Amino acid sequence: MKKYLFIIVFLAVNVSLVAQANPAFQSAMKSQIQAMNQISDTQASAEVANAFLRIAEANSDEWLPLYYAALTKIEGAFRFDVNKDLEFDSAIELIQQASEISPNNSELTALHGYALMGKLSLDPVSRGQSMSPQVMQLFGLAINQDRENPRAVTLMAQMELGMAEFFGSGPQKACGMARIALDLYKSESAKIDENYIHPTWGVETAEELSKRCL
Amino acid sequence: MKTRVLLFFYFFLSQFMAFGQTLLTGRVLDEQGKGLPGVNVYIKGSYDGTTSGTEGDFSFQTTQEGTQILVFRMMGFKSQEQSITCNGGEIKLEDFELVELITEMNGVTISAGAMEASDEKKSVILRPLDIVTTPSAMGDIVGALQTLPGTSTVGNDGRLFVRGGDASEVGIYIDGMRVGNAYGTTAGNVPTRTRFNPNLFKGTFFSTGGYSAEYGQALSSALALNTKDLSVRKQGDLSLMSVGGGYSQTWASEKQSLTLTGNYFDLSPYQQIIPQDFDFERAPFGWDLELAAQKKLKNGGLWKVLARTESGGMKLWDVQPGSENRGALIDLKNYYSYAQTNWSKAGKKGWTWFAGAAISSNLDEVDFDTLQTERENKLAHLKASAIKDFSDRISMKVGVEHFIHRYAEGLPQINQERDFLDNQSFFYTEWDWYLSRKLVLRGGLRAGKSSLSSEDWLDPRFSLAYKLSPKGQLSLAAGKFSQLPIERYRVQAQNLDNTESNHLILNYLWQGEGITFRAEAFYKSYQGLIRFDGTVQNPENLRNEGQGFARGLDFFFRNQKSIKNTDYWITYSFVDSKRSFEQYSSQVQPGFAPRHNFSVVVKHFIVPLKSQLGASFSLNDGYAYTDPNFPGEMNRKTSGFQNLSLSWSYLPKPNLIIHAGVTNVLGRENVFGYDFTTEPNSQGVYESRAIGQPAPRFLFLGIFLTLSKDKNANQLNNL
Repeated sequence: MKKYLFIIVFLAVNVSLVAQANPAFQSAMKSQIQAMNQISDTQASAEVANAFLRIAEANSDEWLPLYYAALTKIEGAFRFDVNKDLEFDSAIELIQQASEISPNNSELTALHGYALMGKLSLDPVSRGQSMSPQVMQLFGLAINQDRENPRAVTLMAQMELGMAEFFGSGPQKACGMARIALDLYKSESAKIDENYIHPTWGVETAEELSKRCL
Repeated sequence: MKTRVLLFFYFFLSQFMAFGQTLLTGRVLDEQGKGLPGVNVYIKGSYDGTTSGTEGDFSFQTTQEGTQILVFRMMGFKSQEQSITCNGGEIKLEDFELVELITEMNGVTISAGAMEASDEKKSVILRPLDIVTTPSAMGDIVGALQTLPGTSTVGNDGRLFVRGGDASEVGIYIDGMRVGNAYGTTAGNVPTRTRFNPNLFKGTFFSTGGYSAEYGQALSSALALNTKDLSVRKQGDLSLMSVGGGYSQTWASEKQSLTLTGNYFDLSPYQQIIPQDFDFERAPFGWDLELAAQKKLKNGGLWKVLARTESGGMKLWDVQPGSENRGALIDLKNYYSYAQTNWSKAGKKGWTWFAGAAISSNLDEVDFDTLQTERENKLAHLKASAIKDFSDRISMKVGVEHFIHRYAEGLPQINQERDFLDNQSFFYTEWDWYLSRKLVLRGGLRAGKSSLSSEDWLDPRFSLAYKLSPKGQLSLAAGKFSQLPIERYRVQAQNLDNTESNHLILNYLWQGEGITFRAEAFYKSYQGLIRFDGTVQNPENLRNEGQGFARGLDFFFRNQKSIKNTDYWITYSFVDSKRSFEQYSSQVQPGFAPRHNFSVVVKHFIVPLKSQLGASFSLNDGYAYTDPNFPGEMNRKTSGFQNLSLSWSYLPKPNLIIHAGVTNVLGRENVFGYDFTTEPNSQGVYESRAIGQPAPRFLFLGIFLTLSKDKNANQLNNL
């Protein structure tokens, strides 16, 4: 009896270690995150997104690979000549899959808002009415889910700036939020070491936004 | 001992995978045999894989051994798997073909007769916002549709007239449920409006013929309005207008939302400032209360409720031709309620379910001088339907409907009343079959049964669409459409059967980035139209014997990209229609079917002024009428209708809109027909009176303020 218990405990510990620090998962994620930061064309973007999707499929209890696959698709849709609506939609689908693994996740909520912001930007005149409240709501929710998430604040600031530009009001509010975001990035950077695979992007955007009021 | 063995195997197995290396190479092709880049090719359950290159070529190494599953996955294509055996060395795979999924985005859609307003879908003609910002529409859905091909403006009526059909031939649906008395009741040639605010809807599907078997009891046209889904935020909307005001409050959570709206309008102050050509004793007035609620259900369904009650009226002197008097006083009071609820759910295995119930109740009390009349119309509609996608190529729609329709009219002073009760049941099914991404066939059948006319019928419908080029497509639609006569006739002759129409439509649609061109030719036949002896006011001997046709073609061109911040569309519709109906003894051009119809709508956004300027211009060649001073029927035509409308929307703050509009800026004296005396005067001449507009122009000024925590929200849809 004792023996079996030992085996069960051993297996359980081992399994949980795999989940937390599966070295193969870690290193695959790290190398793809590096590749993601060097994407220069559509093909490279598809390669990275596909690689994340492979990692996601082999690790069905991890939300991060789906998160990064979605992020790669969103960034690709903003940067390259692809079927943008389709890419944003498929990113949202991936985010929804990831949310089932990790519900109430501030990073996923913020990314969902980011994808929707991308869709809005394709046809702001007719989509603005229905989508901009949804985007604002998602960013607001993301901030509430994790007040330390600098990406949620940065994206909210970006949305605020777009609105201010459309309606011709000043960028002060957006800048203020960007400055808060910069502080959050600072405290986030303290956590980052070479094994850190959680999202860290967005600091450049926050810096740019904060400069708008100088 | 046992433990050790187990542990040994555990470690051994987890290390086992690191041995051999197999190199896999191959090519992924699309259905045309061209290399397909971007395909995710990998060994199932491992990290080993790659993405196909520009020529569809791929090559990667795997450490997996033995029998493995190779997966090919790409967005928009059917994922495929192949079993392979990895035992080191190099495996050269045969070319692998991926089949593209047919989706709404890449497949051809049937566009014959159809015009859609939506933010989401492709092949839309308008966006929902376009409906509310069309200057001549003054915020009325139907007013905006009157700038689309296949319609004609009948300015003394205000309802929707499609391709030589009368206004009753348009069926109006909200979320698939029929709306009884969708237009406000009116009298004395004062044009009406749709009762429902465009704000309620996220999308509009307007068909000018050849439409789905889902819709029946409409000879010419189906107008399907789809209500919004969940609201996302709590807000209040205040509107102050030159003709009234209203307030709307929305409560929202993640799972449900509720909007309550109340409006009051009264044209009296307006009419005191702006003189009217019509002799109003009491200007039109009314109030309405509306509730709209949406709830996401636990099992993934969506439940909606829409309820509305309203009341209004007016008093108007109806001048008689050849008379100097004020004429007869028409005193109109209207009471209307509509409620509907529906539930929908996307289920498993490609099934989508829908169930709904709707009821509308309309009461008109109209006094002509001292004569009191009453009309009561009640319609209940029950519907259940299901869609099944068997694959991306074949889908089926099936539904059952039941209507209970009661109508009564009477003279309360002498206690006289007549009424009818009709139970109608329908079954419909429709099948879409994609032979390829370029070619789709649709076949539908609608069966109906009426208890009152003791009649059952079958309406087959058919359409197909073929993609000629990436942007151009051709559609063809044909079908039979049945509709029971209007209540006023049925109550007098309860055995009246369906009127029938056959449609044949050929459509060409070209859609590029920001540019739409649409051309459509049609032929419609009419059988069993209602004819009678006597006059329209007092028909006698009603019978299903009228016949007719409508044929013509229309063009639509829209350009949103060539001129910066400017969007315009141009429509021309030609209708040649003749029918024997009502009191006419021969086939005549109906008074509601002008032959040439033209309209232009232009909208321009001026960024520094934070303003959108809009202009719309409509023109037709005049309405046929019968002048009894000359031989024959429908022997004369009015001079052409013209209307230039302008609007200005100013957004000084994100949550504030100021909107000003004026119709018929040029003050053209439009005439929609003539009333004649029933007897000639002493010189032997039938004297006439022109049926014109209530006033040369209509001016509108409105302020719309949105109150919410999020100051950027505004009521753009209320423009």
